Amino acid sequence: MVEFKNISFSYSKDSGVFDIDLKVNDSEFCFLVGPTGSGKSSLLKMIYFDILPSEGEIDVLGYNSRKTKKNKIHKLRKKIGVIFQDYKLLKQRTVYENIALPLHINGVGRKKIKYNVEEALELTDLLDCQDKYPNQLSGGEQQRVCIARAIVKNPEIILADEPTGNLDPAAAHKILKILEQINKEGTMVIMATHNYKLISDRDYRIIELKAGSLVSS
Amino acid sequence: MIDQFAFLIAEGFKSFYRNKLASFLCVITIFINFSILGSLFVVGYNTNSLVDFFRSKYSFEIFLKNDIDEDDYTDFMDELSRNNIIANTELIDKEKSAFIFKEEFGEDVVEMLGYNPLPLSIKVFINEESFEFDQVDLLIESINTYDFVDEIEYRGRYINDIEDRINLAIFLFLVFVIAIIFLSYQIISNTVNLSMTNRKDFIDILKYNGASGIFIKIPFYIESILYSVFGSVFSYLFIKYFFISFNTYFGVNVKLDDNLWLWIIGFSIFIGLYSSNQSMKRNLNE
Repeated sequence: MVEFKNISFSYSKDSGVFDIDLKVNDSEFCFLVGPTGSGKSSLLKMIYFDILPSEGEIDVLGYNSRKTKKNKIHKLRKKIGVIFQDYKLLKQRTVYENIALPLHINGVGRKKIKYNVEEALELTDLLDCQDKYPNQLSGGEQQRVCIARAIVKNPEIILADEPTGNLDPAAAHKILKILEQINKEGTMVIMATHNYKLISDRDYRIIELKAGSLVSS
Repeated sequence: MIDQFAFLIAEGFKSFYRNKLASFLCVITIFINFSILGSLFVVGYNTNSLVDFFRSKYSFEIFLKNDIDEDDYTDFMDELSRNNIIANTELIDKEKSAFIFKEEFGEDVVEMLGYNPLPLSIKVFINEESFEFDQVDLLIESINTYDFVDEIEYRGRYINDIEDRINLAIFLFLVFVIAIIFLSYQIISNTVNLSMTNRKDFIDILKYNGASGIFIKIPFYIESILYSVFGSVFSYLFIKYFFISFNTYFGVNVKLDDNLWLWIIGFSIFIGLYSSNQSMKRNLNE
């Protein structure tokens, strides 16, 4: 479960997030919507404690933003998969190596790494690309590699920050379908987007932000 | 666990290999710095032997008046021998003085003058371990009070001057050594900085996927160990063969400490780890 308790954080007087009270339950799928600069990314960053609120507190999977020491944050992050709009793939590594990285961090053995990576590649329809380098892939494929990297460690939460922002509608739908499939297996998914058209026909909870404040949830 | 460790080791080597130019420059700089540092160490090591050599030469000579009788100087020598700052004494009688004179000037003074004008003297060797100039000065002062003492020839102060200069040189060496250590620190630290900046994406991905601080650091530690080991091994080999050639060419005997290799490599790794740790602390905002 993720719970924001009256949190605020500001970059400057006008930008940031203000007085957010919000709860997202386990296995829930929700969209975080709002225009650019509304605070969607900041809210996501707060979930994996990349940004800590200046007021209020957040509880994520039993980790509290006030009580968790800096050197323990990595334990929380092991349970969260993050998907970035700009993919953040390592260009000098193959698709396979990029996806395997979180498993190396978790100390998983070589055989289990191979099994889990192949499973993630299958789910994201990337089996044919595993030996390619990111710059040999299309934007949609790169985003799927990013998703595979996020899901390979079987996280409890997936945070997707504008995962379809750079993609054409067909590729965007494919990404969304993969995320839905992951959610069906019990993983909480929070997806930030400003693509209202993409989510309009989906019946999921929508959390709307405007100028850093919660409009509806 | 073993797989994880193997992964980290491999990452360290990959990082070293990927930043070829920076790694090469860092290794070259460590090589130059530690070649200078190691050479200074060798010079310092041999300077100590030089000081010991000078100290072993600390002695003074007491010239006695011609009218002294044998009992007086025998008692006097016994008294000197009991003093713990004196290692030993040697009597140079008139015959021996004449012999030394002949050896040094090629003339037989007795034959030339018809008598032996040279005085009786006692050569006093100072114990080098408990040597202190003030004590020697006091001893000379007290010896001068004896009626039968004509003159004392003492060159300790010249040797002291030489020692002072050697100590000044050692001090300048130390300043130079500190400067070189600082330079090595800066260079390794900057190279690791550069490496971390180049690999910011990698570090971010590690962080967001739950890597602990030490997990992120290990590859960079390995990278800096590689810089240090390569640079210092080359510098040790350079120093060793340089001084072997130096000894052969100039026919001297500059000695190398048996543990020099350990000292150079160990110290270089220490600086490498320390500077990379400082650099990582800055980069990871610890």
